[in-house]
Amino acid sequence: MSAPGGRPVVEATGLTRIYAADGVAVRAVDGVDLAVEAGETVSVMGPSGCGKSSLLHLLGGLDRADAGEIVLDGRRVEGLSETSWAVLRRRTIGFVFQSFNLVDELTAVENVELPALLVGASARRARHRAVELLERLGVADRRDHMPDRLSGGESQRVAVARALINDPLLILADEPTGNLDSRATGEILRLFADLRASGQSLLVVTHDARVASTADRLLTMRDGAVIGHTHLGGVAPVGSVLAGLADFGDAGGAR
Amino acid sequence: MRSFRLAVRLARRNLRRRPAQAALLLLTLTLATGMFGVGMALYGSADGPWDRVWAATDGFHVSAAYYRGRDADRADVDLDAARARFAELAAAPEVRAVGGPWTHLYGLLDVAGGTEDLTAEIRDLGRSPVDQPLVTAGSWLSAGSDGVVLEQGLADALDVGPGDTIRVQGHQLAVRGVAMTVSRGRFPLSRPAQIWITLTTGEALRRIGLTEEGLEMQLRLHDPDDAEAFATAHEAIEGRGETSALFLDTWRRRRADSHSDIDILAGTVFAAGTLIGLLTVATAAVIVGGRMAAQTRQIGTLKAVGVTPRQVVLALLVENLALAGLATLVGLGAGRMVAPRLAEVSQTVLGRPETPTLTWGRAAVVAGVAAAVVVLATVRPAVRGLRHSTVRSLASGARPPRGPGHRTRWAATAGLPLVAVLGLRSARRRPARLLTNAVGLSLAVALIVVAAGLRPSLNRLAAAGSAPAQPGEALSAGAVDHLYEAVRAIVLGTAGLLLVLATVNALIIAALAARDSARNHATLRALGATPRQTVATLIVSQLGACLLAVALGLPLGLGLWSVMDGGDLPPVPVPATTLLAIAAVVPLGFAALVAVPARRWARRPPARVLTYE
Amino acid sequence: MRDPILALLAKEPAHGYELRQRLVQALGPPGRALNPGQVYVTLGRLVKAGLVAVEQVGQSSHPDKKVYELTAAGRDRVAEWLADLSWPKVTPTDFHLKLIAAAVAGLADPVALIDAQRHELLRQLREVQGAILVEPPDSRGGLLLEGAALRLQADIRWLEVCEQRWLDWSIR
Repeated sequence: MSAPGGRPVVEATGLTRIYAADGVAVRAVDGVDLAVEAGETVSVMGPSGCGKSSLLHLLGGLDRADAGEIVLDGRRVEGLSETSWAVLRRRTIGFVFQSFNLVDELTAVENVELPALLVGASARRARHRAVELLERLGVADRRDHMPDRLSGGESQRVAVARALINDPLLILADEPTGNLDSRATGEILRLFADLRASGQSLLVVTHDARVASTADRLLTMRDGAVIGHTHLGGVAPVGSVLAGLADFGDAGGAR
Repeated sequence: MRSFRLAVRLARRNLRRRPAQAALLLLTLTLATGMFGVGMALYGSADGPWDRVWAATDGFHVSAAYYRGRDADRADVDLDAARARFAELAAAPEVRAVGGPWTHLYGLLDVAGGTEDLTAEIRDLGRSPVDQPLVTAGSWLSAGSDGVVLEQGLADALDVGPGDTIRVQGHQLAVRGVAMTVSRGRFPLSRPAQIWITLTTGEALRRIGLTEEGLEMQLRLHDPDDAEAFATAHEAIEGRGETSALFLDTWRRRRADSHSDIDILAGTVFAAGTLIGLLTVATAAVIVGGRMAAQTRQIGTLKAVGVTPRQVVLALLVENLALAGLATLVGLGAGRMVAPRLAEVSQTVLGRPETPTLTWGRAAVVAGVAAAVVVLATVRPAVRGLRHSTVRSLASGARPPRGPGHRTRWAATAGLPLVAVLGLRSARRRPARLLTNAVGLSLAVALIVVAAGLRPSLNRLAAAGSAPAQPGEALSAGAVDHLYEAVRAIVLGTAGLLLVLATVNALIIAALAARDSARNHATLRALGATPRQTVATLIVSQLGACLLAVALGLPLGLGLWSVMDGGDLPPVPVPATTLLAIAAVVPLGFAALVAVPARRWARRPPARVLTYE
Repeated sequence: MRDPILALLAKEPAHGYELRQRLVQALGPPGRALNPGQVYVTLGRLVKAGLVAVEQVGQSSHPDKKVYELTAAGRDRVAEWLADLSWPKVTPTDFHLKLIAAAVAGLADPVALIDAQRHELLRQLREVQGAILVEPPDSRGGLLLEGAALRLQADIRWLEVCEQRWLDWSIR
């Protein structure tokens, strides 16, 4: 299903992860096939506990699959050591978490520049790029704050900046709006739209329909398996909703 | 009452849910209470044994001795002249009571493999007003019997007691009793071997060839503080004359000398027991503190469901006090089992006749220490948890950081590797935890210094005791070794225990630190840090506490040594090279210890840490 | 109310009071507020429109002697209604009855209906989101769109609950 010219940045086949919970084997991820093309945004939706976060962790190498294979940037990654995974992650993957996971010992800007320093960028370059990103995301004035002084929306924007600093091939976002109010959710959605526009590949795991609806494609998961697959991008906007909003109610009396 | 029942229920549920943590705490508390129990039991036996024997024997203030040597032909001063001088001394106005003078006979004691120099002191049958030896087995000399009394150390070395016999130059003598006194050191540290005999036995021994080698007289003065001046004055008189064979010694000098031998070891054992107790208390405090930090979140939950703050604190106290109570029982039991064995050895060493026992008062002190540890460690975090709003304690398990955002920059630490910078940050972020750890570790370092000092001190002692065998010292090898084996066992055992405890303490600190930073490190790995980098970060973050601990612990250890030495000894037996080695090895060892739990976390896939909320 | 009544007749012909019973059962508490006359008025209109046929049956013991039945045109109309995804013209009540009628009459798989409806709502939400993103962040027009997005989000969440429930029922 690879689109013309679009090579999958990540492709998983038969991905399976089994947890032992109280002696019972739970198939958190059960034979999932999935691919994200370059520049594409894919959402994974499903009720909590359906295995969507586990899937994301497997794709980012934060957890190990029990079966199946992953090809990341054209490279098979099943057998990689923790260290090789870490090194691969630095350049290819940016993580955004529901609970932000900012390092609470570092200021906002230090959090952002951390991945750059890990790939060996000079302190000056890293700082420059971090400040640039924080400005772009509108949180430059918070750069010297510790994470506990940031609001949820600010924290998540700092986290997005951190995910972006090494220009990763793929952003993996796990419930990025899960801990945010409506307004902050709106900010993050706007941010994701900008990223899409700039050609960034995104895989977003969410149970928030607003977030999911902005994707090109939508996978629905239940009990570890993908049960639905929809192309959202392909549907031509009819404009019916917007038209309906302009309907003042006098046409509604038919029923 | 209802609130107490609820607290008990909550506490029981908690203990069941975290059995491993509770077991660890129980173990540490038990070690602490056990060591305190042993230490206190030993305290009695180490508590000034010389003073007690001195008091029990109506010990001398001034001891006068004349020796003409073992060569019977040589007579610098004849004994009658010496007796006259002794009589002058005894008549001096400062003197309140006189023991002796007693004649000393010189002979050879037959022992397996040869002979041993022997002094037989001829005593009157009645009780002497000064220096009446304390009988520890059998009975004192009596008129109807030709039995002799052996000095305790000699009896131990020969392994004989009342009813057995000894041979002096082929002549068989019945052992009537065993006794000790401060005018005689213990055999074999003090030579020659000493027995007490009656005038009748003395005549018999003279007949088989024993010769008079000297006289001894023990004086008590009206004012014990005059002893020094008295000895100096009369020694001066004697020094002027033709003889250099008359010696005057004071009780204070003799007591100071007694410290230089085995007495110090008894003090060391007790001090080590106390230090071990302190260290385990520190460890227990660290564990309870860590447990409470983890429970801050739980406090929030309990408050949210309507449990009153009083009930929350009560529940935590009930839980920890239950553990402390159990630890007290187990610890005292263990102390009772161990203490008599240690005391037995110390009795051989110190000559203390009765076995120390654990009293209710001591039990109360041990229980009090255990309770104090948990109460102190519980109340502070509990109160903190209560002061915070319910929402805040629910929101974060860890302590919320203080103060406004630091304006510090990476630039301040520019040039250091990234992991070092991250580690330093982490250490600076939790100064209170760093200090707590440093205190615990510095105690450990101090104990290592003490342990390092025990060994040379032991060697010095052994060297003093096992000088090259002289003619007439056939017992050297066997008897001395027998005695030192027991001492060595205590000393090395204590040193080993100190090292083990110091290690356990450091390991617990490391494990708690690793748990605390697990989430941050999982995040770092999600950002591309390798497991090795996160391990290094943790090591750097903990090393600060360790270096601080070395800086504090070395002087502390040396201080403890000088306290134990009592100030009577030549300089501390811990050489500078050893101290340097400790300063170098301790941080390295600690780094290795920290790496253990850090690597355990680093081996886990980060997802498991990150999804655990 | 016309479409649900038509759909409820799809399984088999029924008396007016039977229809009302079915409606009340399907709707739960809101159904009890249903005016009995309303069902008969609606049925009358449907007969007049040629979607429903009525037959008198001799049944002296019962006051209601009329049995209603779908016509061919009526069946077509029901099929059309089931396929209609035009939210919010199809109200939640409509949709709920649609699922019940589809299940009872075996006209369609409720889960498939839910899925189709959900996709439609996601498409609409996407449209609204798209419009929001074009608006400057704090515009007043954006506020109206925000409301539409939040309503759609709530509807989608409800559809997810529906899906879970109908899946559970179909397994039993």
